[in-house]
Amino acid sequence: MSLKNFSELFVDLDSSNSTNNKIEVLKNYFLSNDPIENSWAIYLLTGKSNKRFISGRYLKNLFCQIYEYPEWLIDTCYLKVGDSAEVITLLLKNKSTSRKKKLSNISLNELLSKTIPDLSKLKEEEKNLQIKNIWETLPEENHLIFNKILTGTFRVGVSIGLITKSISKLINIDEEIISHRLMGNFEPSIDSYQFLINKKINLQELNSKPFPFLLANTIEDKIFKNSINDFQFEWKYDGIRMQLIKRSGNVSLWTRGQELVNESFPELVKKMSNIKDDFVLDGELLVWNFKEQIALDFSLLQKRINRKSPTRSIQIKYPIIFIAYDLLEINGRDIREIKLENRRIELEKYFSKWQNRIENNISDIFKICDLIFPKDWPDALTYKEKSRENNTEGLIIKKKTSIYSSGRKKGIWWKYKVDPMQLDAVLIYAKGGSGRRAGLYTDYSFALWKDQELIKFASAYSGLTNIEIKELDKWIRKNTIEKFGPVRSLKPEMVFEISFEKIQISKRHKSGIAVRFPRITKWRKDKKINDADSLENAYKLMKKIS
Amino acid sequence: MRTKQEYLIRYKDGNLYCELADIWIDPSKPVKKALITHAHFDHFTFGCEEYISTRETAILLKERVGDNIKIKTFEYGEEFKINGINISFHPSGHILGSCQIRFIFAEEKWLISGDFKLQKDDTCKQYEIVKTDYLISECTFGLPIFKWDESKKIANDISKWITNSPEKTSLLFCYSLGKAQRLLNEISQTNFKGNIYSHDSIHKMNNSYKKLGIDIKDTIKIENKKKIDELKGSLILLPPSLSKGSYLKNFKNIQTAFASGWMSIRALRKRSGYDKGFPISDHADWDGILEVVKKSEAKNVFFHHGDSEAISKFLVEKESINVLFFGN
Repeated sequence: MSLKNFSELFVDLDSSNSTNNKIEVLKNYFLSNDPIENSWAIYLLTGKSNKRFISGRYLKNLFCQIYEYPEWLIDTCYLKVGDSAEVITLLLKNKSTSRKKKLSNISLNELLSKTIPDLSKLKEEEKNLQIKNIWETLPEENHLIFNKILTGTFRVGVSIGLITKSISKLINIDEEIISHRLMGNFEPSIDSYQFLINKKINLQELNSKPFPFLLANTIEDKIFKNSINDFQFEWKYDGIRMQLIKRSGNVSLWTRGQELVNESFPELVKKMSNIKDDFVLDGELLVWNFKEQIALDFSLLQKRINRKSPTRSIQIKYPIIFIAYDLLEINGRDIREIKLENRRIELEKYFSKWQNRIENNISDIFKICDLIFPKDWPDALTYKEKSRENNTEGLIIKKKTSIYSSGRKKGIWWKYKVDPMQLDAVLIYAKGGSGRRAGLYTDYSFALWKDQELIKFASAYSGLTNIEIKELDKWIRKNTIEKFGPVRSLKPEMVFEISFEKIQISKRHKSGIAVRFPRITKWRKDKKINDADSLENAYKLMKKIS
Repeated sequence: MRTKQEYLIRYKDGNLYCELADIWIDPSKPVKKALITHAHFDHFTFGCEEYISTRETAILLKERVGDNIKIKTFEYGEEFKINGINISFHPSGHILGSCQIRFIFAEEKWLISGDFKLQKDDTCKQYEIVKTDYLISECTFGLPIFKWDESKKIANDISKWITNSPEKTSLLFCYSLGKAQRLLNEISQTNFKGNIYSHDSIHKMNNSYKKLGIDIKDTIKIENKKKIDELKGSLILLPPSLSKGSYLKNFKNIQTAFASGWMSIRALRKRSGYDKGFPISDHADWDGILEVVKKSEAKNVFFHHGDSEAISKFLVEKESINVLFFGN
């Protein structure tokens, strides 16, 4: 029972590309370690917490101070490695020869429940001394884990689904059950692990937990061969997907990221508490224009998400709505196994019942999603194209006979997104990537013409293949005009097609516009920089929509 | 201070060149006279009128490119004269036959480190400390994040990696010359006692090493259509050039790894596409370079091969060593 085991687990998971292998590795770890260690391991691996105790910058400075390293040298190393915790780990290796102290063998539990939290209680000087002490007494193979947890950057290629699978295999119980048990808060303890691996299924225990979310797949051509009548059509809103749960009278709001967000939306919790029935609803939270019955931009919703206990004036300024897509449980009865079309009937029935109560008007905060009824597939396409007009991203298409299973199940729900907007832009800056992309220039900024000047309008780092990234990296190194720290300004020469989902006015940017989800969709080697789009074209796109 | 042109050895067209002797060191294009530090292909080019190297390097080179080249050889430590310049080869510990080259002219000593390492390697001569006034050193791994583990530890990790997956065929990618033989030598001292296969290019080099008196474990030359069961649980050494493309389709149920110093960095490990990386290098790490700079007692140092900015600045600031630049 020690941190060493967890470090080994990390190495094994990190150096495996096979799902089956990872599941096997996890299973073996759970079998050979204590419940409390397992519980912390799950906590870390599922990313339930990546609290940052100390910033990467702080850690680097501390290292410089203790071992008398020049700061610039660490920064140079960082460019190669792309992760502060790893840089320090590698540099510590160089210091380990001078280590004389006896090595400690602490457990994951001790590290996470005591050693690290205790650091926050110390004054800066004591804290620094304590970190130095841990560095010098911790066996070398544990340094990376320690530094990563400290800086809140612990990540390894393990999804929550993989954890679910391995526990499911371990105790021979359905994945759905494990998945449900893993939803929501997970406080690491012997009990929480025992609950997870309990072979007896007791639905009462899952009381406040949301169901695993069912997700839509990208549209497939084969769907068009089916009759349009087999499907239910909804708008695809750009808000926060959520489950609104009321069980035993208590309301809880769970995001798809499994965060409990009751405190951010107290007006919704209050209104829903007054409903007599218990229920679990799957839906979307949005900031809503009630006059025009249209969703407002996601950026407004962002003003609500991270704000706990919002004031009355904030609540009025950014009015929210919960739009229910689906009813999953009603008065303690789990109805996920019945067909979607029948769940919809139930949803409509209960909605009209709740709506008609005079003492609790819910229409100012809650509704069920409107359905769309295209005549045929071309008609569906027309709806999709119109989706920008009502600030949605396209359509969600659901098989009427589908049951509510979990995950990105194939062949039952699809998202049919409106085509992205596109502009051809000129690459003007590049920045070194981090993490897996360290040592390569992978973060790019793109510009559009305004008269004779190139004005930056978007940054993007995804969309190129690894081969293209390497090729572009080489080009960048040869065509740098100036270096500012990790950023290089480049000879304007390369044109790329940039796709994005939304375009809006922004006072913060020199270009006067901001785009959402920009990404590279094509390296336009066929185009010269004079062929790139102008800012004016971008403004035109904006007008076209609104 | 002298101008660049007045140095005994300088950079010309991207190569090290001694004008006084009209001789090039590891030139990348055909010249009249070339000194070759070791038999890796990135230090050798076809078409030179005359090559000069250690005896071992000459044998390895001929094995790789054929007898059709004119090579003059000298033993380690043996001095020879070209245009009044005393030249000698000294072990650099990189691979079998690799050398540093010392020039002495008018009581001024110059040392070209060649590729070198200080770590233990039973398949070649240990790096020899050579005193000099001017040092031209490689700095492939010239950052303090590079700190090599003992090769014995890496070999044990490799052994564990293979034996932990007895149902799999373990493909270990490594350079055919030098790294492969060093790994074979180390792995034969671990608990792994299964079969070791090697690709033809590696097999050939193994035989050359043996001919030169180096004790290398026998390996089986990999045939294209080996039965899958036979390969289960065994180790196969392959050159990195085969890691991409269709060659891997010859095997079933494999795990892959790359043995290289770069594998000490997670991002590079991930990007490389191998399942696993074993950080073992035939180049010096940061401490190794610093040690050589110090022990050579050089007052002036040049760096080439690699990012020299950081180590140069460090030596100037911390050790008050005069670091010079060739320019282009």
